[in-house]
Amino acid sequence: MYPQQIHEYLRQFFNENKCPIINENEHYLNIQLTIDMDKKIMNRPFYWKYIESVNETPNPAQITLITDIQQLKEGVKGEVVHFGSPRLHQLFRVTKEMGSFVKMYEQVHSAPDGQMILTPWLGVNYKISYCSHQTKETLYSLGINLMTGAVFQEFQERLTKLDLVKDSPEQVFNLPYIITPVRALDRLDAVVDQMVREEDQTWAEEAKKRWQKDQAVLDYFYEGQDEKPECYEIEKNAMEERFKPRITIEVLNGGLFYLIGDHARSQMHK
Amino acid sequence: MLIEKSSDWKEGFIERLENRQSWDSWTLYKMSYDIAKQNLITDFSGLQSLKYVPTVTPLAHQLEVAERVIEEMNGKAILADEVGLGKTIEAGLILKEYMIRGLVKKALILAPASLVNQWVEELHQKFHIPAMLYKKNYELDYVDVVVMSLDTAKRSPHKEKIYAQDYDLIIVDEAHKLKNHKTISYTFVQNLKKKFCLLLTATPIQNDVFELFYLVTLLKQGHLGNYDSFTSVFSGSKRDVDQDNYLKELVNQVMVRNRRQDTGVKWTNRQVQVVPVEFTAEERDVYQLLSELKHVSPVFSDAFSTMTLQREMCSSQEATLGTLKKLYAECSTSEELAYVNDVIQRLDMLDIHSKAEKAVEIILNANDKVILFTEYRGTQNYLHEYFHSKGISSVIFNGKLSKNSREWIKHLFKQNAQVLIATESGAEGINLQFCHHVINYDLPWNPMKLEQRIGRVHRLGQEHDVHIYNLAIQQTIEDHILDVLQGKIGIFEKVVGELDDILATNY
Repeated sequence: MYPQQIHEYLRQFFNENKCPIINENEHYLNIQLTIDMDKKIMNRPFYWKYIESVNETPNPAQITLITDIQQLKEGVKGEVVHFGSPRLHQLFRVTKEMGSFVKMYEQVHSAPDGQMILTPWLGVNYKISYCSHQTKETLYSLGINLMTGAVFQEFQERLTKLDLVKDSPEQVFNLPYIITPVRALDRLDAVVDQMVREEDQTWAEEAKKRWQKDQAVLDYFYEGQDEKPECYEIEKNAMEERFKPRITIEVLNGGLFYLIGDHARSQMHK
Repeated sequence: MLIEKSSDWKEGFIERLENRQSWDSWTLYKMSYDIAKQNLITDFSGLQSLKYVPTVTPLAHQLEVAERVIEEMNGKAILADEVGLGKTIEAGLILKEYMIRGLVKKALILAPASLVNQWVEELHQKFHIPAMLYKKNYELDYVDVVVMSLDTAKRSPHKEKIYAQDYDLIIVDEAHKLKNHKTISYTFVQNLKKKFCLLLTATPIQNDVFELFYLVTLLKQGHLGNYDSFTSVFSGSKRDVDQDNYLKELVNQVMVRNRRQDTGVKWTNRQVQVVPVEFTAEERDVYQLLSELKHVSPVFSDAFSTMTLQREMCSSQEATLGTLKKLYAECSTSEELAYVNDVIQRLDMLDIHSKAEKAVEIILNANDKVILFTEYRGTQNYLHEYFHSKGISSVIFNGKLSKNSREWIKHLFKQNAQVLIATESGAEGINLQFCHHVINYDLPWNPMKLEQRIGRVHRLGQEHDVHIYNLAIQQTIEDHILDVLQGKIGIFEKVVGELDDILATNY
């Protein structure tokens, strides 16, 4: 991430969390934290416990984040934030935590012939990690139509093109789902599972080959010993941890989406 | 194939469906997805860590090491770059890479006590890794990356606390301390689980090829065969060039070693010379008397005490007197006592030690900062006083100094004093690139100790040619030491690879 990207990210993050930006230029931000944000990121539980127990006026912190120290000429003092700095990754974690579940409606500006119908969807973003002695990750963004059960890939990319709002627009009819969201989630889980199983497994075979080779070397070392010492078992277990291929599937985030149907959309644009 | 899934998200989702929790912001939702997409590790190979440590600019050889260790060696390796090429950076990169990739959560770093603070600082400042220095009564459960001295770690109750943890990566700095498989340190590390493991040492062989065998075996049991098969092939007089090459190849599968000249960085030269010193007639007499002691009294009969006294005599009267007086107390017959007493008298009457005079000559000639290494504390004090009488300012550095005093003495040396009089243990891990004259006042048995000493000044950041003076008194045990050193260097070069000049520059 470039300094400008980080700067933009931070602005957006604090704006979205209602933390006023007191001072800034392109290379730094001075932010007044809210009480909630202070509790989340300043790591001072004892202060908050004390303030709350004596009922004193809370004084949430102000922080200054410098996003481009090289360009900064103003002599501002603060925390230098760059990709890899603990502060930025803490904010990434907070973002993930606070952006996990949504329920959104597509905005309807004009209903051409009376009432507009919105179709319910479940969208889920999956992060897949492939681990052995090395790792790789992929993202799958899936959406399932809760009326028909049809599944689409790259769902998030579709969503970001739409105008979505938190509250249902007036004069629309939100179809009640036929497939419950929980059942739909199970269905998507199964789809991801299937996709993962059908992928290229060369990496796992490669890991197993290395594992077998190392195991053979270890066994050779203890050849002829019936009673193997403890460090044989330790090494054997370490080897399993190192090489055993495994895949973890994690839901990054997901939500319910009420969207204009494709048919209706095409009509709207006529 | 093992597929792991977590149901955490599902539970949170159900809570929202049932209106027990509120929904999140769409903006943060999108931001979260974008970050995940941007930080995604899309490839098994390659280093992710570089993006995360913008303040570190690793050198080409350091990057190569990190990649090779992770991709080819499966995260188990001996990092054996020559002193001063930045093994800590390499280890830091590897640790960071594994942490980013989620393959290492908990890591244990074992280093000599004098280096633990440096490790903690470097990991924080350069790699943003929240490493903690181990303190007694620490609960290791809550610390992911911990730095400890090996000497503490191997003892109870710390040892048990460590075994109770589940470390993914073990780093041992100055790993040549594990060369002897009969030590507590060796057994301690042997019984640690080593999912990933890095052993750092510039000097994987110090004396003989078995040290390398045990070091490799610690890392990867069986890689060099078992003890019997190894002995039958690689030890003794039967060795030939083919076998040496074969061994070298095997070793290179688990060891990476960069030499200064392969790094692409311009290095200053090393001018190494043996400076012969002649005893005065009186000194030689005393040396002879000391060598005869073994025939006079059984107290001196073991070869070790004679050798110690001889070496000390080659260093200073003070060093010799210390040992001699101790042994004097063990003598019983009047004959023995009289003989030893006579030697002590003669020692007391000796003038300035010939070697000390030679050292002063070199220091005055250099007319610059000089580090002088000696094996003996007695000699340290003796030289300190003698230099003072000659108008040369010096400071003493040894293993007994606390961390703060070490920094202070280093500072004094940089700012005020001309000479740093150091012992081996004192100088471990300190970097003194501002100095480029090294006097090895006494010679150790082990050439790698010399290499480590030279490495204090001949490292990245040195701008001048480095001058090394190895002092040796002629026709004494020091001649023999020179031979032994030469032999050990030969073994190292056959099995590990070429070495920079240690004893003398070959023109």
